[in-house]
Amino acid sequence: MADTNKQAPPQNVPMPGRRGPRGPMIVEKPKEGKKTLGRLLQYFEKEKGMVAGLLGIVVVLVACSVYAPRLQSEAIDRITDGQFSELPAVLIVMLILYGINGASTLIQSLLSAQLSQRIVKRMREDLFDKIVNLPIKYLDTHPHGDIMSRMTNDVENISGTVSQSLSSLVSGILTIIGTVFMMVWLCPQLALLSCVTVILTIFASSYLSRKMKLFFRKRQVLLGNLNGTVEEMVTGYKTVVAYNHQNKVVEEFEQTSDELTKVGIIAESFGGSMGPVMNVINNIGFVIIAAFGGYFAIHGIISIGVISAFIVYAKQFGRPINEIAQLYGQIQTAIAGAERVFSIMDEQEEDKSGERGMDGTKGVISFRNVNFSYVPGKQVLYDFNLDIYAGHKVALVGATGSGKTTVVNLLMRFYDIDSGEILIDGVNIKDIECAKLRASTAIVLQDTVLFSDTIRNNLKYSNPQASDEEMERAAKMSNCHRMITRLAKGYDTELTESGQNLSQGQRQLLSIARAFLADPKILILDEATSSVDTRTEQHIQDAMVNLMKDRTSVIIAHRLSTIRDADFIVVLDQGRIVETGNHEELIAKQGRYYELYMTQFAGNAI
Amino acid sequence: MFRYLKKYWLYALLAPLFMIGEVLMDLVQPQLMSTIIDEGVLGLSNQNVGDLGLVIVTGLKMIGFVAIGGLCGVLCGVFTNICSQNFGNDMRKAAFRRVMALSFEQTDQFSTGSLVTRVTNDVTQIQNMVAQCIRGFVRNVMLFGGGIVCMLTLDLSFGVVVACAFPFLLICVVFFISRVNPLFSLLQKKLDRVNSVMQENVSGSRVVKAYVRENYEKERFGKANQDLVDTQLRILTIFSYMTPIMNIVLNLSVVAVIYTGSIRVQEGGVTPGNVMAAITYLSQILNSVMMFAMIFQTVSRGLASYKRLSEVLECEPVIADGETERVPAGGGMVEFKDVSFSYPGSRGESVLSHINLTIRPGETLAILGATGSGKSSLVNLIPRFYDATEGQVLVDGVDVKNYKLGKLRERVAVALQKSELFSVTIRENIRWGRDGASDQELREAASDAQAAEFIESKPEGYDTMVAEKGMSLSGGQKQRLSISRALLKKAEILIFDDSTSALDLKTEAKLYEALRTKYPDVTKIIIAQRIASVKGADRIAVLDNGRIAACDTHEKLMESCSIYQDIYRSQLKADSEPGVSGNETPADPAAVVTQ
Repeated sequence: MADTNKQAPPQNVPMPGRRGPRGPMIVEKPKEGKKTLGRLLQYFEKEKGMVAGLLGIVVVLVACSVYAPRLQSEAIDRITDGQFSELPAVLIVMLILYGINGASTLIQSLLSAQLSQRIVKRMREDLFDKIVNLPIKYLDTHPHGDIMSRMTNDVENISGTVSQSLSSLVSGILTIIGTVFMMVWLCPQLALLSCVTVILTIFASSYLSRKMKLFFRKRQVLLGNLNGTVEEMVTGYKTVVAYNHQNKVVEEFEQTSDELTKVGIIAESFGGSMGPVMNVINNIGFVIIAAFGGYFAIHGIISIGVISAFIVYAKQFGRPINEIAQLYGQIQTAIAGAERVFSIMDEQEEDKSGERGMDGTKGVISFRNVNFSYVPGKQVLYDFNLDIYAGHKVALVGATGSGKTTVVNLLMRFYDIDSGEILIDGVNIKDIECAKLRASTAIVLQDTVLFSDTIRNNLKYSNPQASDEEMERAAKMSNCHRMITRLAKGYDTELTESGQNLSQGQRQLLSIARAFLADPKILILDEATSSVDTRTEQHIQDAMVNLMKDRTSVIIAHRLSTIRDADFIVVLDQGRIVETGNHEELIAKQGRYYELYMTQFAGNAI
Repeated sequence: MFRYLKKYWLYALLAPLFMIGEVLMDLVQPQLMSTIIDEGVLGLSNQNVGDLGLVIVTGLKMIGFVAIGGLCGVLCGVFTNICSQNFGNDMRKAAFRRVMALSFEQTDQFSTGSLVTRVTNDVTQIQNMVAQCIRGFVRNVMLFGGGIVCMLTLDLSFGVVVACAFPFLLICVVFFISRVNPLFSLLQKKLDRVNSVMQENVSGSRVVKAYVRENYEKERFGKANQDLVDTQLRILTIFSYMTPIMNIVLNLSVVAVIYTGSIRVQEGGVTPGNVMAAITYLSQILNSVMMFAMIFQTVSRGLASYKRLSEVLECEPVIADGETERVPAGGGMVEFKDVSFSYPGSRGESVLSHINLTIRPGETLAILGATGSGKSSLVNLIPRFYDATEGQVLVDGVDVKNYKLGKLRERVAVALQKSELFSVTIRENIRWGRDGASDQELREAASDAQAAEFIESKPEGYDTMVAEKGMSLSGGQKQRLSISRALLKKAEILIFDDSTSALDLKTEAKLYEALRTKYPDVTKIIIAQRIASVKGADRIAVLDNGRIAACDTHEKLMESCSIYQDIYRSQLKADSEPGVSGNETPADPAAVVTQ
């Protein structure tokens, strides 16, 4: 009763940590299954050759596994009948068949590995291309964790399932057809009887898996809760301790944990009973075959070998049915994942229209009657008018939410305005080539963004063509050359993810140096509110002053010295300009700026 | 580990017993089948006349055995799960309880992420290992041993086949595992790389776009992606070879058994039924060898997890309860007596040295100083987040080390710079401050913290859910919630550890005003960076390199303390150096604003 490849179905690459489908997975229902499936298949279209090869190999494999039991039964028959001299010939055929089977399995595994990896690679690339070209608005309004999980979990899941299920599905169907054919060919009566087993198998497995699904889903939810609690409480541990909440937190955790255990035991017990139940059914099938087979054999209708072959066939028959049932769930989940991936791919890309260049720009910026809202109905800027002359420093001042950052977002075309126009040197920025516009404008953001790369590459990020001397000059102007050279590897120091091996202040200096190297005509500075120590603060201030020289600068200002140094101060309140002028004028006016100045900078007595 | 298992010894014992039952039934089955074939169908002992009655009787016997075996199997599974999951549950609870009792120096050492994995992932791994050992290990030993014994009882010649195939299979398994295992950690690294490029692009999209580097990023991602795919393919390729080779070994053995069987049948040593039974046993034996490989992996992973988890479980909290039951009447006086402090494991680099400071009940003391000057470390000593290395910290005249930890922390409310909020409603977040506070008190605390306005402007008000880590709130809003929480606690000592940094100064001023008028008896210790925030305090302690450089009122400090003057100048530079801005020319026509 040997089973040619029962121990490890070749489709299931055994990955540690990814255990076989014990118990059903949580099946998600895709919304537009057919359409998504169609798009998914397009990914396979480019790998036509490979898919064809894979299918061909699957046919060979199925043929082997369908024919092998027949050979075994022949061999047993030779022994039973005492025709020992004919045995070696059968055995040699068997060996050849097993050889072909092995080789095909190998080729099939290699092919499906290649296929799945090629597709996952292309899919990742497509998705990344899309994400890079998405408008800022999308990234601002969607949780980053969610976008990330589409890249990591969903794509992985799709590729795994699709390439796996492709061969499983085909081989499953072919195996069923082949087995039925062989059984009917060998003995139609026994074949009919074997159906009893099959029906029993289907009933039992669908009943059990429905039961299981319920508990597995519940368990999944509880597990999510539990992990969430641990994560939150460990991250917020200081608060837990400060408020003496340890016992309460532990109690809550234990409740969830106990419940999880209870549900887990039930779920896993159901899952565990699947195997034994199937075993019983299989053996019932075996006895039926043996009993009736014996009866037929005694009456000379069939040979002993046929019985042995039938036993194998009956097993072979049940397995693909189970597999296909499981595949259905997997495919559904994968398609739901694909739907999420495609929904990003269907997002509109950033509008980068515009053709005019920006060579020889002077850097005169004008806002004319600009209205803007992030969300329809919630206007952020009202009839905004502002002229900034070349080479001037303009400080935007106002409370949080007054619209300072919005002005920056619009100037860089991170968002497009609702009405009005923004002009640079008299040209509407919508008519300027987006890349040119951004290349001649540099920004230094509050939250410093650095990449996990060398310092050199991070600085040259703004200008890849820059020479090392230019880079060092920029670093010197930004007061960070000495700091960099003091690092063991100097400019070749690798920054860890988001530059966490540098202090906040050092990171700000690097981002200033990066802006320096871009040598832009227009500069946008979003001053950091976060506190750094006095000396670094001074370095940053000086670097900023250096950077602003001879450039049109728009500054979202928080520091008094910056504001006082500005050529022109714009006081914003709830999306409207309420006051303008320089420091002295505005102080003399004793208006909103004066009030702001007195509370924010001169002290808290008002 | 066995300490935790002991409680469930009955289940741990019952499970393998039932497993033995199941396997025995499995082993009997080929024998019965052989009887059905040889006696029932072929009628070997009955002049080749089959006996259908025997077939049916033996068949029913077989179904009976199989049913018993199946029942045993189900029960074994149930007991295994009861045992392993309860065991895992106990471990998880013990681990979490321990984590919640650790002192900060210990949680610092472990790092948050690793603690989370230990409590969640590692426990699951250990649980799997236990389940595998109870069920898988016993089962496979039985199948392996029993299979060999049964096969040899059929005929000794079959043993030769097993003896040849077994070592070969073993070598294969060991070879493949040793080849693939190191690749997995490499794969993880490549995967991390892809994720990190992705993460950077999602969160740094403004910079990417501002410098027009979309194409460069695509290239960078492409490289990381290719690397990942290559590594993944290497692993898949190795696995691709593994399955067919195993299959071939198995199939060759089947051929060999048939061949030797045929010789023995010729000699009259065995019957054809025996040969068929032998094939079944053979696949059982070789299967169990491969199962061992899987169990081996689970166990080695489980042991590694166990090692990590026991590091947590064996970690005794450094800071423990004091002896004193009696709690002084209080008032909220804090004294530092010659206190020095260095972070554990920092090789004695002292953060604070010889601090002497008395904070009177009801006083507002501000602490000012550069990053790294030791401000947070100083206040961390009051609720014993850390213990002073030298000297004494006293609260109301009693050394903090003598307090019961709970009692001490009841007297102190802390609002942290990084406000830690939990994903429950705003109401529940504030109520963390004091269970059982009335809604009225809660609203009052929120309004004192200048949070009431923004909370009430939300459609669901206090019942608004705080999303994961407060994502839906701005930095200033989060800080105000955490201040509300601290105020609600109504503790005698209130500490703001730079917890107003994201507030604009107007709001901050209102907050301090509320503190002054509504909480006059509370001792307030306020860490801040901006002079404007601290000007109004009763006294300002200026910390410099772990020492108190001066401690006095704003006016006095302006006269006598050069460090304070420096800070003042850098923050309000223009006031003392009116010339620097160089831009006194009035009404620059360059900028025109119309409204």
